[in-house]
Amino acid sequence: MSVACDIAVLGAGPAGMAAATEAARRGARVVLLDEYPAPGGQAHRAAPPGFRMPADSDRRAGDRLRHALALSGAELRLGHRVWDLAGGPPAQAGISRPFRIASLGPQGPAALEARALILCPGAQERIIPFPGWTLPGVIGLAAASILLKAQGVLPGRRAVVAGVGPLLLAVAARVMKAGAELAAVVDLAGPAEWQAALPALASRPDLLMRGLAWRARLASRSVAVLRAHRVLAAEGGRVLERVRVAPLSGGAPEEFDCDALCIGHGLVPATEAARCLGAAHCYAPRDGGWVPVLDKDGRSSVPLLYVAGDAGSLRGAAAAPASGRLAALAALADLGRLPPRRHARARLGPALAHAHAVRPGAAMAAMMALRPALLDGIAPETVVCRCEGVTRRDIEQAIGAGAREMNQLGRFTRCGTGPCQGRLCGEAAAELLAGRVGGRERAGFLTTHPPLRPVPIEMLLGEPAPADTAPVLAPA
Amino acid sequence: MVIRGIAAILTAMMGSLRIRDVLRPAEVTFTWQGRPFRAPVGESLATALLEAGIRCLGEGPGAPRAAFCMAGSCQQCLVRVDGRPAQACLVPVRAGMAAEPA
Ligand code: FES
Repeated sequence: MSVACDIAVLGAGPAGMAAATEAARRGARVVLLDEYPAPGGQAHRAAPPGFRMPADSDRRAGDRLRHALALSGAELRLGHRVWDLAGGPPAQAGISRPFRIASLGPQGPAALEARALILCPGAQERIIPFPGWTLPGVIGLAAASILLKAQGVLPGRRAVVAGVGPLLLAVAARVMKAGAELAAVVDLAGPAEWQAALPALASRPDLLMRGLAWRARLASRSVAVLRAHRVLAAEGGRVLERVRVAPLSGGAPEEFDCDALCIGHGLVPATEAARCLGAAHCYAPRDGGWVPVLDKDGRSSVPLLYVAGDAGSLRGAAAAPASGRLAALAALADLGRLPPRRHARARLGPALAHAHAVRPGAAMAAMMALRPALLDGIAPETVVCRCEGVTRRDIEQAIGAGAREMNQLGRFTRCGTGPCQGRLCGEAAAELLAGRVGGRERAGFLTTHPPLRPVPIEMLLGEPAPADTAPVLAPA
Repeated sequence: MVIRGIAAILTAMMGSLRIRDVLRPAEVTFTWQGRPFRAPVGESLATALLEAGIRCLGEGPGAPRAAFCMAGSCQQCLVRVDGRPAQACLVPVRAGMAAEPA
């Protein structure tokens, strides 16, 4: 059974919650879908029912958004994994065709038709592989943040926290506060980069103060904070035992014993949904990489399709709600539910809030932009694609044999064709290819096709009903 | 029995990974490869296994496989729960749940 609504919102993070709230408050029939059982997204991820985490500012900001959403009248479809997106108005409008959204929820498959669609899938973490990165004990920075904030569990007893971006200090501070030993903090960014980012960060004194407090806490425990350093390798037998770290400029490596390495090389906008629907994209490293082409209200190249939050451009959780509201208002205006003059007035508030919040977000995005130097750290025998066990050497050989673009590379090596669909290896593989074919635009990206996420086939088919079976014809 | 006793003492000495000032619901028993473990109901299976000292969730191509993103996207945490394939980072622990490598 397909249900129809005015606006569907995909992703219940800060952008999606705010978009759904804004549209539903103004009388539209809104359905908000998310894979998790509670709204919040990664930044404000809710703890499981019955868990009570000590309150912090992220939690409180999330609670405010959740509260407004609950009062807005938007319908929530939580625990729904969206696996197919189709329809939408044809490029030359005129006829209106609804978007069709297929999901798999707690009660089985569900279908939804929406006149307008706002995508708020957020971002995923980029990890450039290095020897030993597949060892159990090595996890993403975002993963560590989820463990600490939403599960209340330490990633290990003695951790090295490494990489770049706002999560680095946040995870380090939380690990220490929660009572684990912090062996080292390994920051790709050097002091000069932090200094360059400072004026932009100062526009959010609360965030700046929090960052400074974290640094002070690290200093007071005399934790080794290594700036402009990288992780060379993670080592151990069947699990992680130590990491080797060295300055980016070269120089003598240092070793740190640990049972957890939390590492992330920045965030990448999640674009598979927008690509699946044929929206135009461009490569903009300072926005996070491949991003949909959007106007300032989040309109994509496909009519009635909008993208808000980090999925459109990495500007952080603080800027996401305003971006969601702008997209919701634009959708209402485009659907004829908000007259132009009222739309112009309504968007002023969120536009101003957005302009204010994007500065620190942009500074962080610049710091998190892909660093091609990290590619030197991938050894020939290092596995790049974990799902299919494809090494750097396999990739180089395929390029040598004539693979010129990501989908070809996938066919040559199976890189990116496993269950994660390139979410984990795509950035590294694309960058390796880009270096040989003359840029990321040439290397392209893996074509998205349904299922967007793995879903068990028997769940989609459901129990076969007698009527589904074609009658067997008696032989003539 | 003796081995289990020693394991329990060792775990106690090493301390729990669960952060102390978090309030949690009651613990339930689930199994991993037939061995019983306890975890607060609703904790993710990946977390509960981490706390139990189990980091390898199966064999990937040429290397042990472990949860990596904790957010449902990397698919490295694939296991079998009560016979069905599931992502350990997304599955909440329930009483009597039987989990094993995929
Ligand atoms: S740990 Fe990545 S999908 Fe579960």
